[in-house]
Amino acid sequence: MSAFTAFRNTPFREKTAWVMALILVAGAVFYFYMVVSVTRALGQTAPPLIGFAIVYVVVIVIASVVLMTVLAVTSPRESNAPADEREQIIGNKAGKWSGYVMVVPALGGLWHYAVSGDGHMLFHLVFLSLMLGQIAEYVFQIILYRRGM
Amino acid sequence: MAKPPPITNRIRELREQHGGMSQSALAEAIGVTRQTVIAIELGKYSPSLESAFRIARVFDLGIEDVFGWQA
Repeated sequence: MSAFTAFRNTPFREKTAWVMALILVAGAVFYFYMVVSVTRALGQTAPPLIGFAIVYVVVIVIASVVLMTVLAVTSPRESNAPADEREQIIGNKAGKWSGYVMVVPALGGLWHYAVSGDGHMLFHLVFLSLMLGQIAEYVFQIILYRRGM
Repeated sequence: MAKPPPITNRIRELREQHGGMSQSALAEAIGVTRQTVIAIELGKYSPSLESAFRIARVFDLGIEDVFGWQA
Protein backbone atom coordinates (compact mmCIF):
# COMPACT_ATOMS: atom_id res chain seq x y z
CA MET A 1 0.00 0.00 0.00
CA SER A 2 1.42 3.37 -0.99
CA ALA A 3 1.77 6.18 1.55
CA PHE A 4 -0.90 8.12 -0.36
CA THR A 5 -3.39 5.24 -0.18
CA ALA A 6 -2.62 4.70 3.49
CA PHE A 7 -3.21 8.40 4.17
CA ARG A 8 -6.46 8.38 2.20
CA ASN A 9 -7.73 5.46 4.30
CA THR A 10 -6.77 7.09 7.57
CA PRO A 11 -9.76 8.17 9.72
CA PHE A 12 -10.60 11.88 9.36
CA ARG A 13 -9.62 13.05 12.85
CA GLU A 14 -6.30 11.22 12.76
CA LYS A 15 -5.68 12.72 9.33
CA THR A 16 -6.28 16.24 10.65
CA ALA A 17 -3.92 15.54 13.56
CA TRP A 18 -1.20 14.46 11.09
CA VAL A 19 -1.72 17.56 8.96
CA MET A 20 -1.66 19.95 11.92
CA ALA A 21 1.40 18.26 13.46
CA LEU A 22 3.31 18.52 10.16
CA ILE A 23 2.31 22.18 9.64
CA LEU A 24 3.36 23.08 13.18
CA VAL A 25 6.67 21.21 12.93
CA ALA A 26 7.46 22.96 9.64
CA GLY A 27 6.57 26.33 11.21
CA ALA A 28 8.69 25.67 14.30
CA VAL A 29 11.68 24.59 12.18
CA PHE A 30 11.33 27.78 10.09
CA TYR A 31 11.10 30.04 13.15
CA PHE A 32 14.00 28.49 15.05
CA TYR A 33 16.17 28.34 11.96
CA MET A 34 15.73 32.13 11.80
CA VAL A 35 16.49 32.51 15.53
CA VAL A 36 19.68 30.43 15.26
CA SER A 37 20.77 32.30 12.11
CA VAL A 38 20.30 35.71 13.74
CA THR A 39 21.99 34.51 16.94
CA ARG A 40 25.04 33.35 14.96
CA ALA A 41 25.18 36.60 13.00
CA LEU A 42 24.98 38.75 16.14
CA GLY A 43 27.22 36.57 18.30
CA GLN A 44 24.61 36.73 21.09
CA THR A 45 21.06 35.52 21.69
CA ALA A 46 18.77 36.96 19.01
CA PRO A 47 16.25 39.51 20.29
CA PRO A 48 12.57 38.54 20.01
CA LEU A 49 11.81 38.23 16.28
CA ILE A 50 8.33 39.69 16.44
CA GLY A 51 8.11 39.97 12.65
CA PHE A 52 8.96 36.29 12.16
CA ALA A 53 6.61 35.33 15.01
CA ILE A 54 3.77 37.15 13.24
CA VAL A 55 4.70 35.52 9.91
CA TYR A 56 4.80 32.15 11.71
CA VAL A 57 1.29 32.61 13.14
CA VAL A 58 -0.18 33.91 9.86
CA VAL A 59 1.37 31.11 7.77
CA ILE A 60 0.22 28.46 10.27
CA VAL A 61 -3.34 29.81 10.28
CA ILE A 62 -3.56 30.07 6.47
CA ALA A 63 -1.98 26.64 5.88
CA SER A 64 -4.21 24.97 8.44
CA VAL A 65 -7.40 26.60 7.09
CA VAL A 66 -6.53 25.60 3.51
CA LEU A 67 -5.58 22.02 4.36
CA MET A 68 -8.50 21.51 6.75
CA THR A 69 -10.84 22.75 4.04
CA VAL A 70 -9.36 20.28 1.56
CA LEU A 71 -9.76 17.43 4.09
CA ALA A 72 -13.32 18.50 4.92
CA VAL A 73 -14.28 18.61 1.24
CA THR A 74 -12.87 15.12 0.67
CA SER A 75 -14.65 13.71 3.77
CA PRO A 76 -17.75 15.89 4.28
CA ARG A 77 -19.68 13.39 6.41
CA GLU A 78 -16.86 12.72 8.88
CA SER A 79 -15.88 16.38 9.09
CA ASN A 80 -19.42 17.43 10.04
CA ALA A 81 -19.91 14.71 12.64
CA PRO A 82 -19.23 15.72 16.25
CA ALA A 83 -16.43 13.89 18.08
CA ASP A 84 -17.73 10.68 19.64
CA GLU A 85 -16.92 9.50 23.17
CA ARG A 86 -13.59 7.87 22.24
CA GLU A 87 -12.45 10.87 20.22
CA GLN A 88 -13.35 13.21 23.07
CA ILE A 89 -11.33 11.13 25.53
CA ILE A 90 -8.37 11.10 23.12
CA GLY A 91 -8.61 14.89 22.76
CA ASN A 92 -8.73 15.35 26.53
CA LYS A 93 -5.82 13.01 27.23
CA ALA A 94 -3.66 14.53 24.50
CA GLY A 95 -4.44 18.04 25.78
CA LYS A 96 -3.52 17.07 29.33
CA TRP A 97 -0.25 15.36 28.38
CA SER A 98 0.78 18.19 26.04
CA GLY A 99 0.47 20.54 29.02
CA TYR A 100 3.29 18.63 30.71
CA VAL A 101 5.43 18.94 27.57
CA MET A 102 4.78 22.67 27.44
CA VAL A 103 5.97 23.18 31.00
CA VAL A 104 9.52 21.81 30.41
CA PRO A 105 10.98 24.52 28.11
CA ALA A 106 9.03 27.23 29.95
CA LEU A 107 10.60 26.20 33.28
CA GLY A 108 13.98 25.89 31.55
CA GLY A 109 13.58 29.46 30.29
CA LEU A 110 12.70 30.74 33.75
CA TRP A 111 15.66 28.94 35.29
CA HIS A 112 18.00 30.25 32.58
CA TYR A 113 16.68 33.79 33.11
CA ALA A 114 17.17 33.53 36.88
CA VAL A 115 20.78 32.43 36.37
CA SER A 116 21.86 34.59 33.43
CA GLY A 117 19.29 37.38 33.15
CA ASP A 118 18.98 36.64 29.41
CA GLY A 119 15.48 37.87 28.65
CA HIS A 120 15.84 37.16 24.94
CA MET A 121 16.42 33.47 25.62
CA LEU A 122 13.44 33.50 27.98
CA PHE A 123 11.27 34.83 25.14
CA HIS A 124 12.47 32.14 22.72
CA LEU A 125 12.03 29.33 25.23
CA VAL A 126 8.50 30.45 26.13
CA PHE A 127 7.67 30.65 22.41
CA LEU A 128 9.23 27.20 21.97
CA SER A 129 7.12 25.84 24.83
CA LEU A 130 3.95 27.08 23.12
CA MET A 131 4.99 25.46 19.83
CA LEU A 132 6.01 22.18 21.47
CA GLY A 133 2.79 22.06 23.46
CA GLN A 134 0.71 22.30 20.29
CA ILE A 135 2.86 19.81 18.38
CA ALA A 136 2.79 17.38 21.31
CA GLU A 137 -1.00 17.57 21.50
CA TYR A 138 -1.37 16.38 17.90
CA VAL A 139 1.39 13.78 18.27
CA PHE A 140 -0.32 12.32 21.37
CA GLN A 141 -3.63 12.25 19.48
CA ILE A 142 -2.00 10.28 16.65
CA ILE A 143 -0.43 7.85 19.13
CA LEU A 144 -3.74 7.31 20.96
CA TYR A 145 -5.68 6.86 17.70
CA ARG A 146 -3.19 4.28 16.43
CA ARG A 147 -2.24 2.49 19.63
CA GLY A 148 -5.54 2.59 21.46
CA MET A 149 -6.13 3.64 25.05
CA MET B 1 1.25 -1.29 22.55
CA ALA B 2 -1.15 -0.28 25.30
CA LYS B 3 -2.23 -3.00 27.70
CA PRO B 4 -5.69 -4.08 26.53
CA PRO B 5 -8.51 -3.50 29.02
CA PRO B 6 -9.77 -6.68 30.76
CA ILE B 7 -13.14 -6.36 29.05
CA THR B 8 -13.96 -8.90 26.37
CA ASN B 9 -16.78 -8.68 23.88
CA ARG B 10 -18.63 -10.74 21.27
CA ILE B 11 -19.50 -7.86 18.98
CA ARG B 12 -17.91 -9.27 15.83
CA GLU B 13 -19.63 -12.62 16.36
CA LEU B 14 -22.97 -10.93 17.06
CA ARG B 15 -22.68 -8.74 13.96
CA GLU B 16 -22.16 -11.86 11.88
CA GLN B 17 -25.17 -13.52 13.50
CA HIS B 18 -27.28 -10.47 12.66
CA GLY B 19 -27.07 -10.83 8.92
CA GLY B 20 -23.48 -9.70 8.66
CA MET B 21 -24.22 -6.26 10.06
CA SER B 22 -21.44 -3.91 9.06
CA GLN B 23 -19.29 -1.99 11.50
CA SER B 24 -20.60 1.23 9.94
CA ALA B 25 -24.22 0.19 10.52
CA LEU B 26 -23.52 -0.65 14.15
CA ALA B 27 -21.60 2.60 14.58
CA GLU B 28 -24.52 4.58 13.20
CA ALA B 29 -26.99 2.69 15.41
CA ILE B 30 -25.13 3.55 18.60
CA GLY B 31 -23.91 7.03 17.61
CA VAL B 32 -20.14 6.56 17.35
CA THR B 33 -17.68 6.39 14.48
CA ARG B 34 -16.76 3.19 12.66
CA GLN B 35 -13.22 3.56 14.04
CA THR B 36 -14.60 3.44 17.56
CA VAL B 37 -16.50 0.23 16.81
CA ILE B 38 -13.28 -1.23 15.39
CA ALA B 39 -11.37 -0.15 18.52
CA ILE B 40 -14.02 -1.75 20.77
CA GLU B 41 -13.99 -5.02 18.81
CA LEU B 42 -10.21 -5.18 18.97
CA GLY B 43 -10.23 -4.52 22.72
CA LYS B 44 -8.36 -1.24 22.28
CA TYR B 45 -11.14 0.80 23.83
CA SER B 46 -13.70 0.08 26.51
CA PRO B 47 -16.99 1.77 25.63
CA SER B 48 -18.92 3.93 28.07
CA LEU B 49 -21.71 2.24 29.98
CA GLU B 50 -24.23 4.07 27.79
CA SER B 51 -22.63 2.81 24.56
CA ALA B 52 -22.36 -0.70 25.99
CA PHE B 53 -26.11 -0.67 26.70
CA ARG B 54 -26.81 0.71 23.24
CA ILE B 55 -24.76 -2.07 21.64
CA ALA B 56 -26.56 -4.72 23.70
CA ARG B 57 -29.94 -3.28 22.69
CA VAL B 58 -29.01 -3.37 19.00
CA PHE B 59 -28.55 -7.13 19.36
CA ASP B 60 -31.56 -7.44 21.66
CA LEU B 61 -29.42 -8.92 24.41
CA GLY B 62 -28.42 -8.10 27.95
CA ILE B 63 -25.15 -6.27 28.50
CA GLU B 64 -23.49 -9.34 30.03
CA ASP B 65 -24.32 -11.37 26.93
CA VAL B 66 -22.20 -8.97 24.90
CA PHE B 67 -19.42 -7.98 27.29
CA GLY B 68 -17.38 -10.06 29.72
CA TRP B 69 -14.71 -9.49 32.33
CA GLN B 70 -11.41 -11.30 31.85
CA ALA B 71 -9.89 -11.57 35.35
